[in-house]
Order: sequence, then structure tokens, then C-alpha cells
Amino acid sequence: MRPPVPFGQFVPGDSAVHRLEARAKLGLAAAFTAMLFMVGGFAGLGISSLFVLVAVAVSGVPVRLVLRGVRVVAFILVFTLLAHSLRIEPATVALVRVGPLAIDPEGLVTGSFFAVRIVLLVVGTSLITLTTSPVRLADGLEHLMSPLQRVGFPAGDVAMMLTVALRFIPTTAEEAEKIILAQTARGARFDRRGPIARGRAYVPVLVPLFVSLFRRADELATAMESRCYRGGTGRTRLHESRFAATDWLTLLAGVGLMLTVGVLL
Amino acid sequence: MDSRRTRVLIEIALSVALAAVLAMITVWRMPQGGSVSLNMLPLFIIALRRGTGAGLAAGALYGAVDFLVNPYIVHWIQPILDYPVAYGLVGLSGVVSRPLKAALSQAAYGASVAWAAAGIALGGLGRYIAHFASGVVFFGSFAPEGQPVWLYSALYNTYVPVSAAAALAAAIVILPVLERAMPSRVSDSAGT
Repeated sequence: MRPPVPFGQFVPGDSAVHRLEARAKLGLAAAFTAMLFMVGGFAGLGISSLFVLVAVAVSGVPVRLVLRGVRVVAFILVFTLLAHSLRIEPATVALVRVGPLAIDPEGLVTGSFFAVRIVLLVVGTSLITLTTSPVRLADGLEHLMSPLQRVGFPAGDVAMMLTVALRFIPTTAEEAEKIILAQTARGARFDRRGPIARGRAYVPVLVPLFVSLFRRADELATAMESRCYRGGTGRTRLHESRFAATDWLTLLAGVGLMLTVGVLL
Repeated sequence: MDSRRTRVLIEIALSVALAAVLAMITVWRMPQGGSVSLNMLPLFIIALRRGTGAGLAAGALYGAVDFLVNPYIVHWIQPILDYPVAYGLVGLSGVVSRPLKAALSQAAYGASVAWAAAGIALGGLGRYIAHFASGVVFFGSFAPEGQPVWLYSALYNTYVPVSAAAALAAAIVILPVLERAMPSRVSDSAGT
């Protein structure tokens, strides 16, 4: 079998960060987010970035990939900085002045605080998807959702759909690629300028994709039923993930440390 | 477990997979950073064919998958609003499922376009409101006091109605073809 088309951000590896159970990582990410919103000054942000630096170093994920997420929020970072520091005709001292616009030094400091917080949030949380495969993350989410089953939430069905969806993303991507190539061979052009022309070019790709989606759903449902699938309750899995003692230790130590930093700084 | 239910669950799962694939294809990048893609299209199609329940489930599930694949967190409440809630509300388009299917089965093209447009507008509006709320919370906590945060959020999220319009244009072409190739009514009775 061909290796699946890569998607998402996952970088395979065997570091301690990679091996940590998905639920523990989700718990640590929640504590990390809480800490970032609790700290009130640059000292707190400094300690938070230390946590991120250690995690990145241990994970062995290339820094280039870690910083990729920051590019996505570039607009928001620039906005945050400008919203705090840009003043029109200010009475206060200005750092730089261009016509009626001026940069207020105090605003710049506040803006930087918020911008650093956003960068740390983005980098810290993207470390989870960089070091955990989507399937393992879905497993983690399923475990976290399982108590909801008692109040009638179909956690088993949701977990099954999540697994099927993640499993079929590479297959669907490959199929889309094949159809695009086939239509290109027939003379279709996907490099046209302008949103309308580009959108129209994709219609001959979308129609077969949708027809094949519903056909595949039909076949898959039949195949599952003929193998006696009867809903998500009591479903067993091929690869059981275990919450080991080291996972507990890392989770408790990490959460404790982060919340202490959040309260103190 | 009845077989129609299994099939609808699988249709939801595969629609989510297709949505994730379509999200990778950017039709147009807007100046303020939002990108227009057709990722809502499969969610609209499943909601229009299978009703609001399936639509809400597909949307919320896609939100979860999108979060697992490309998380984007700038505030603690924002991921909930921007992922499961925003995409879940796309499923609201399913409220027009019945009249739309009736129109399609009678080959009433004009009526089916009108129903599809109404459904997609509703679903798109739902997603816009969720992103708008998330934007107000976000800009409200990051921008200094006294700034028109609702205006920033309204402008920043304009890519949602543009994406919904693109999805509508595609859905108008796809729905009749799909109804001929895989009739939703016939498969309903075949499944039970």
C-alpha cells in the first residue's frame, strides 16, 4: 500500500513529547492557555516562553515548522500592535511621527504584551498537532467524551465518524488529484486568474467527487453492516492507547507548575 | 442499529473528509487574510440532502477535524466559537431539506435554486454570526477600550458570505446532478 498523502501538520518522531499520551497533551495545552491568560506581565510571558522552548527542544520538531503557525496570525499581530500604539494627533510623547499619525511608546509596550501572548498561544498549542497524529488526537478526544455517553450523547458514533473522516482525508485528496489530472488532460485549466473563473474551473472536479462520495458511503455502510457493525457502544480498537504513570506524572507536574506561574506572575 | 442510520453516519464522515480536502484548495485569498474556499460545500450538501440534524453533526464534526488538523487559537473561548459552533451552524441550511428535495424530484429547477439559496444563506449566516461573536470577544480583549470592535469583526469575517456565495454557485450545479445519480429519496427507502 502506498503511504498516505500527508495532511495537517504532524511531524512523525519518537521524542518524549511525541510519546506523551494525547489526553495528557490536551490537558497541558489547556493549562498552558489558562496560564497565558492569568499572567499579568512580561515576567510571566518569559517563563511561559521558557516552557515552549523546552517543549520544542525536547520534541525535535524543526523550528521553521513551529513558527509556520505564526505566519497565519501575522495580520492579527500587526493589528494588535497598531491598535494599541497608533495615535492620531497625540498629546503625549511619540516615538515615530508620520503626518498626523504617531506611535505611542506606552501603547507599543501594551501591544507587544498582547502580541507575544498570541505568538505563545499559537506556538504552544500547535506543538500538539505537530507531535500527535490526528488519529491519536481523535482517540484522546473520544476518551474525553466518553463520560458524556451517560447523558445520552452518542460518543461512540461520533468517535467512529471522526476516525472514518480522518482515515478518508488522504483517500479523498488522492481522488481529487486524480480527477484534476484527468480534467487537465481533457483541456481544463485551473490556473485562471480571478475567483469566478477559478471557481468555475473546479465544477467538473466537484461533480464526480460528490457522486463518488455518496457511492462510497453506500459501499462502506454495507461493508460495515455485513461485518456486524451495530453502533459505537462497546467498540474495541486495534491500537489501544494507555494512560501510563509517566503520562500522569507529566500532566500533574505540568499543570501544577503552569497554574502556579499563572497565579504568582 | 438500522442500516439507514449507519449510512447517514458514513455520509457525514465522508462529507467531513471532502470538506477537509476542499479547505486545502484556496479559490481566492482576501486582502484582510481570510481565504475563500469551498470547504462549506460538502456540509451544505449533506444538510440539504439529509436534514438539519445530519447537517449540524457534519458541521460540528468538521469543526473538530479542522481544529485537529489546523488549530488556530488566540483566545480561550475563540476555538469553541470558531470551530464546532461556527461550522455546526452551517448545518442549519438543512431546514429547507424537505421542500428542496420535493422541488428536485419534480425537476422544478427555479424552486430548487430558491430553496438551496435560502438554506445556504441561513447556514452561511449562522457561521458568520459565530465568527463575528468570536471576533468581538477576541478584538474586545486585545484592542484598547473604546474601539469599534464589532466593526473590526464584521469586516474581518467578510470572507464567510463570499465563501457561502461560491458554495451556492457550485451547489446549484451539483444538487440536480447528484439527485439524478444518487436519488436521496430512493436511497432512503432502499436503506430501511
